[in-house]
Order: sequence, then C-alpha cells, then structure tokens
Amino acid sequence: MGKYILKRTLNSLITVVIVFVSVFMLLRLMPLSGYFPQEMLKETDEATRMSYLRNQGLLDHPVVQLGRFVANLFQGDLGRSLTVYPKVPISTLLAEKIPITAAFGFSSMLLGIVLGLSLGLLMVRFKDRWGDRLGTGYILIVRAIPNLIYLFFIQVWVSLWLDLPMVFDKDIPSSWILPVICLALGSIAWYALWLRRFMVDEENRDYVKFALVKGLPKKQVWKRHVFKNAIIPLVIYLPSDLLFIISGSLVIESLYSIPGTGGLLTTAIKSQDNNLVQVIVLMYAILSVIGVFLGDLLVAAVDPRIKLTEEA
Amino acid sequence: MKRILAILLVLAMALSVAACQEKPVTGENQDPAASQQPEDVANAAQQIIEGKEFERVYKTYFTSSYASFNYYSTAYATVREIIANCIDGLVEPNTYGVYVPSLAESWKSNEDQTVWTFKIREGLKWVDHTGAETEYEVTAQDFVDGIRYIGDPLNGAYSLRVIRNLISGLYDYYWTLDDIDSGTITDQKREDVVASFDEMVGVKAVDEYTVEYTLENSAPYFLSLIESSMLMLPVEYDYAVALGDDFAVDNEHMLYCGAYYVSAFERDKAITLTANPNYWDKENITIDTIEYQMIPDGTTSLEMFKRGEIDYASVEAEAYLSLQGTEWEDNLLPTSHSFSTNYLWLDFAGENPEFNKFINNENFRKALMYSLNRESLASLREPVDPSRILRNTINAEGAIYDSNGVDYTDYSPLKEIKETDYNQPELAKQYMEAAIKELCDENGNIIGCEAGTVDYLPVCSFDVDGKLPVTICYVGTDDESEIIMAQLFKAMIEESIGAEYIDFQIQAYSGWTYGTVADPLNYDIYFDSLSTGYADPSGILTRMTTDGAENVGKYDVPEYDALIEKALNAATFEERLQYFAEAEAYLCSNGFVIPFISSLRGYYMSYSVPYTSPLTLYGNTKYKGTLVMSEPLTKAEFETLDAAYEIERAEALSAK
Repeated sequence: MGKYILKRTLNSLITVVIVFVSVFMLLRLMPLSGYFPQEMLKETDEATRMSYLRNQGLLDHPVVQLGRFVANLFQGDLGRSLTVYPKVPISTLLAEKIPITAAFGFSSMLLGIVLGLSLGLLMVRFKDRWGDRLGTGYILIVRAIPNLIYLFFIQVWVSLWLDLPMVFDKDIPSSWILPVICLALGSIAWYALWLRRFMVDEENRDYVKFALVKGLPKKQVWKRHVFKNAIIPLVIYLPSDLLFIISGSLVIESLYSIPGTGGLLTTAIKSQDNNLVQVIVLMYAILSVIGVFLGDLLVAAVDPRIKLTEEA
Repeated sequence: MKRILAILLVLAMALSVAACQEKPVTGENQDPAASQQPEDVANAAQQIIEGKEFERVYKTYFTSSYASFNYYSTAYATVREIIANCIDGLVEPNTYGVYVPSLAESWKSNEDQTVWTFKIREGLKWVDHTGAETEYEVTAQDFVDGIRYIGDPLNGAYSLRVIRNLISGLYDYYWTLDDIDSGTITDQKREDVVASFDEMVGVKAVDEYTVEYTLENSAPYFLSLIESSMLMLPVEYDYAVALGDDFAVDNEHMLYCGAYYVSAFERDKAITLTANPNYWDKENITIDTIEYQMIPDGTTSLEMFKRGEIDYASVEAEAYLSLQGTEWEDNLLPTSHSFSTNYLWLDFAGENPEFNKFINNENFRKALMYSLNRESLASLREPVDPSRILRNTINAEGAIYDSNGVDYTDYSPLKEIKETDYNQPELAKQYMEAAIKELCDENGNIIGCEAGTVDYLPVCSFDVDGKLPVTICYVGTDDESEIIMAQLFKAMIEESIGAEYIDFQIQAYSGWTYGTVADPLNYDIYFDSLSTGYADPSGILTRMTTDGAENVGKYDVPEYDALIEKALNAATFEERLQYFAEAEAYLCSNGFVIPFISSLRGYYMSYSVPYTSPLTLYGNTKYKGTLVMSEPLTKAEFETLDAAYEIERAEALSAK
C-alpha cells in the first residue's frame, strides 16, 4: 500500500508540473495588448505600455519568468495580481475568498448528500409510485430547465415569501439559507438520480433475489447489501468535490453577491492576469489530483473487492 | 427564430413608445416652470425639503469589483467614486458646477493661463482608516509629490498622457527615467534624475501652503482637469513610498483628506464610508455613513430598492417599461446627462477587400451616415424621449464653453452637424449609387478586388467574391441588448442602401475584448464610446489623429491632423475651440467616425434630493451636501426641484 501511495504521489506530482508548466508557457503566448483593459489600451500609447510591461517583468523570456515564479513560490510568495486586482498579493486574495466559497461549498455538499440520498431512497422505496414520481419531477425540473430561471425565481420570490435577504451578508445568518439551497439543488438531483439507479440495479441482481428467497428480511437486505453496494460508485466522486468546494459557482456567487472564488479563474483568464491564473491553476491541479487519489483510496476502503496493491 | 421574434418585438415596442412620446401640447402637461414665476418655483421646491428630517445613512451599491484604491494607477472607473469622496482636490464644483475652493483656499493664473498658483488651507491633517489624525499634514508638497509619484514609470500611473504632456518638463522627466530603466540611457543615474525633479518639472511648492503649476500650453480648462483627473490629487509621498506596492491596495494602506474615509472594506462585497471628523468642511456633510454593497445584477438592485434595502437603483429601458402602471411609476426619474458618445468605428485597413475598397470612398461613408435612424437606436435605451440622447458630434453638448459662455458644439461648422437629421434613406441610396459608379464595373464587380477568404480569427472567417453586394462584418458582443442594436443597424443599413448592395453580417462574439477585436482589426464595423473628460475638446480629439491612440480603424486624415495642430497652437481659447470644431466637423461630416447617441442610460429611483450634491460634470458623484429623504422622490417633486434648479443655475452661471 505504501509503495502504491508513493507511486501515485510521484505520478500526481509529474501531472501537476506538466499542467502548470504548459499553462504558464501558454499564457506567455497571449498578445501583449491583453494585459491592458480596454480603457487603458485606448488611453496609453505603445511606448508607455511597453514601459509598464517591462517594469512588470512581462517582457523577460518565459523561462526566466518561470524561474522567478518558482523561486518566489519556494519562499512562500505567490506574487501579486496583475490586472484583476492590480498589485494585491494573491495570497491575500485567496485567503479572503477561499474560506467564504469553501463554507458555502461544504454546507451545500452536506445538504446535497443528505437530501439527495434521502430522495434517492424515497424514490426506490416507492418505486413507480408517488415518491418516485415526485423525485423524478424534481430531477427533471433541475436538469431540464435552465438554472438561471429557477435560481432567479428563488432569489426574488422565495426570498420575498420567506422574508429572507436577497443577497448574502456575513453578519446575517439567514442570508446563507438561499445560496446554500441553490448551490445544493444540482447535487441533490444528482445523488438522488444515481442512488436510485444503482439501487434498482442492485435489487435486480441474483444475490439479492437469493437473499430474499432465503428469507432474509427485506429491510436487512436493503441496508446491508443493496444500499451499501449502490453507494460505492457514488463515494468515488466525493473527494473530487474538493475542487467544486474551492472553485465556487460563478452564477450563484454573482446573484447573491458572495465575494468568493466563483468566476475568479475565468475573470483572470479573460483579463490575462498571468500571475493569478498560474496560481489558481496550480492550486486546482493539486486539488484535482488529490481528489482523484483520495477517491481511489476511499473506494478501496469501502469496497473490499477493490485492492490497490500490485498483488491485486 | 425566437431571437428574431424577440428582437422584432423589442424594436416594435421601442418605436411605438417613441412615437407616442410627442411633446405635450396641452396646458396641463406643460413644464411647471413655464407658467410660474421664478419665486413660485423656488417656493414650491423649498416646500419639498422644508421641515423634513433627512436620513444620515445612505445605502447604495456598485456593480463590479473595486480592484484597488490606488488612485494613480487604477484603470477602473469604479474606484473614482470612492476616491472622489475620500481624497479632495484643489478645487471642486459647487451644486451649479462652478468651481469653488476645496483644499485650495484661493487660486490665480497668469494672463495666458500657463502658470496656475493655488493657496492651500493650513492645518489640515491626513487621517487613517479609523478617522484618526495622522502625523502628516496636507501641504503644497503633497501636490508636488503627487506629480513626482506619477512621473516615475515604475509606479505605473494610468492615463498619464494628458497630464504628462501638459505639465512643463514632466514628459522629459518620465521618458528619461524610462530610458534609464530600459537601458537606452546608460550615462545617467536614476537617482540623479529623480533628484532633479524639482528643477526639471513644472510643479513646485512655493512655500508650505502654495503650489504652482507651470504648463506647456495655455490651459483655460485646467480647473476641470483638476476635477476629472485623479492624477492631480495629493499624496503623502513618504507614506506611499514606504508602502511600495502595498500603497492603497485596501482601505488600511492609504490616507484620506476628503469628506469621508473608508472605514470598512470587504473586497468584492462591501465598502463603508464614514464622515471624516477632521474634515475642513464638515458642516456641509449631511450623510454620516455611506454603505456600498456589490450587487452585479440590475434586477436584484431594483428589487432591493423596492424593499427599501438600498436608497438608489438604476432603471434600464426594459425595467422602465415593466414598472409602467405599477406603484413605482411615479418614482421613475430621468438621468440627467452623459458626456460619453456612442459611435461606429470603421476599419480602414482590415483584411476584407470589399469593405476596404468601399470604406475608403467618401460617398460610401456618407451612405452609411445617412442610413441610420438614430431615434430608433436611441429608443432602445430611452423609450420615453429618445430624442434627448441623440448625438451627432463626438464631444458632448453642454460639456465645453468658451469664455463668453458659448457652447463648443455651437461653433460652426459643428453646429450644422449637431442640427442635421441624418435619417435620410433616399440620400443614403444616392450616395451608395455614386460610390458604386466609382468603384464597380457595370457587372457589379468591385474594381481591383479579388475573391478570397477574410481571416478575422478568432472572431470569424468568411468568403468574399469581389462583387456586389459589399460584405460587411459587424462585430459585437453576445450581450442581448447589443445583438438587438446590431440587428437594428443591419435592418436600417440594408433597407436604406439596399440589400442588393450591402450584405451586413453580424458576428456576436462572446470573447469580445479590445485586444481580440479592435486592436488587431478583426472587424469591419463595431461600436464603442468616447467621453469628454474635461472642458476642452483636446481630451478626445488629439487622440483621434492619424497616429493617435484612438484611431483604431487606422484612417489617414492629414487635413484633420493639420487642424488639430492649429488648434493646439492657437493664440486664444476661442480660436482653439474654432479649430477643434472644424477638425471634429471634418471627421464627422466625412464619415470617418459616425457618432449616433449619447451613452445615457434611462432612469433611476432614489431617496436622495437632486441638486443637493456638487454638480460633478467631469468627475464622479460626491455626497457632500446630499440630502436623503425617508421616502423615495416622486416625479412631481423631481420636476419642481428641477425647474427651480434650472433657474438658480442660470443665475449662478451668469453671475460667474
């Protein structure tokens, strides 16, 4: 097991380095004009722009820039934002934004798991009856209707009916309710849909029929065998939600005015904020490989059939 | 199909609304000021605010993030409003737009207005983000140091061009330092040049409380430049230099000398301004706390206003129509002015050989000019009175006056352009036919134009056959309102000129940026805006010369360049305006740029009493003196206050 972990860690490290260096170099292929917002491009002459770029070190050879970034990284300096939040230390930005997004992400993930699995169980328990139809209807609405429509409806009308704030305010606890629910709507549908499907599959397997024929109580078969086996394919995705938790939702953070990381990478790429993009990509790459790695470990832990060692 | 239907519906709605808004003719609908004596109007206005209790907290919002508070290097316009209330300049406009003392108690200029001297108030201290006085005093040296700060290329000052060219010696100082930094100059030391700032640059502290600016040219508009440019604000240099890159990255890393200080700052979320207890003019501060929160979505801000959670909401055209017939109809107030002009940019050097042939033909450009129905375009933004946002000139009416009070846009030949109705489809067709005669053979082949593929990637790529109809690639964003506007352009141009002559293609490009579309000339036509930044046409027009930064379409206009040169060397301000007016008229009448409407957007609802704040024509909203009511202002109240204000302002301006 130890050897396996070491090997996966090394592979993950190589993956992160390849992703990071590729993105770093690709960013340097972008046009120089992209470093300036439109109003700045129109206001400044070419010579002033080149002067600015040179003073920012953006005209140095990409390898020199990479070396500088890595050297600073090892000293704990992530650099400063170039264009999105000019001169603001990236470590400060992330320290401000990640906790907020993570708090919403964790809350909504928990809500999604609890309500999603409950709904999935309800749908299986009352298969082809009211519970199943109710759940199917919910899943259809969430997945088929463009999310902006129901998110907007919830923000404007539900907030009015329940007398809840329309936008997030960290000092008002009730302002967390609607954004967390909105963030969880998709994952509730996802967990319910797949739990129902996997449980129905399991129910039709021979070992379940055999156990029932042998006289085991249905409740016991469900609890010990059907649910346990159906949950395994879902467990693998849990750690990869780490990335979702940190990266946030552009739409919901924008709607509820949540100052988190949602849309930060997109904005940074659009504004050609190299420093910010490369730090976020590095962070996301590390989180992604950790997520996948943890997923593998978790599934091995919950499913005795799966072994991660060479002999398996 | 649905999109086309939606566009047609919006267009039909906009046109019908515009058509229904004829000027009222009945007596009962007339302007309240027209039938009343000035004293009656003033009394009516007085009654609205008399005896009322005003709120001491004002809640408003911003729509995009505050990147940084560094007022010298931040490109983002959003930071201006915060800075306008937190850092005072030398002068400020009063409620009528007349410049009155701010940090400067008095000022004077020499006869040709090349030397301006300001006497600073004594005993004022910079305060920190808690409102506590610091050890630093506001002195003349702080204004000198402001220029010193922006004059160093390492500090990356934004929009430096105008100030750099105007203040004597600053241009040379900046570029000498830059040449040293880049290694072009090796025989001078940086520290020696920095040490020579006081001798080299035309700004000096005559004594502790007197600052003097020496300018390269006569600048009668200098006070308006002080209002509009954040680069003219003071700084406590030692404090800023000690902080280095951290200067003004947030509220705790800057000092304040204005009516407010930023007492709380949550990035991308909330900003609180608190009244400065040590402010020199604190008797005129009427709001103790201004609470900003970030609300990017217009619908949310409107809904929050209705629930009383914020005191101001902007109302776009679509929202305006949806509020008609509701309880809020009576609270919809018209926005007052915008000096920003929307215009069509034309690509004179792009890869499209068909468009390239035609756009360099004067008749074709005129055909485009006369094909636009500006009122229909305006009704997309201003459904009630579209005519109030029409604009045929680049510089806005009401923005620049000569020393006799004559509006710059009333200088001939600009006046004729301002008053021309360019919605003349017949004339447009005639110009197009004249252009075709000059550029095409009898079979409709464009002379000297080869068939081929036009590469406007990453925006688009398309084939042209070198024959009529002329293919035009209009590039806009994928924003719904922009697509509607583009569809209107297409409908108007193809209908006026004839679809057999013009094939107007729309590219709604989601990745629209200046760097991907405008700068690399990946378009034939796009629309953009320009704003009159201070009380002189040079702010825009000098940037539109053949080699100017604003000449995005790469036209070649030596006649225009010569007029600009004459304007810059004119002996008097009136002569200067005359040459500028001729230059601007040359660009507009020959269709090198096609202005069509102002950037004014619709309406607003508010709890604040209009005309109680300084009239910041070139700068940003200042809240000093603003009165906030406990109920939203009604249209009737607004009209009464507006009528009284117009009379008072006319008196104030005539007494100036």
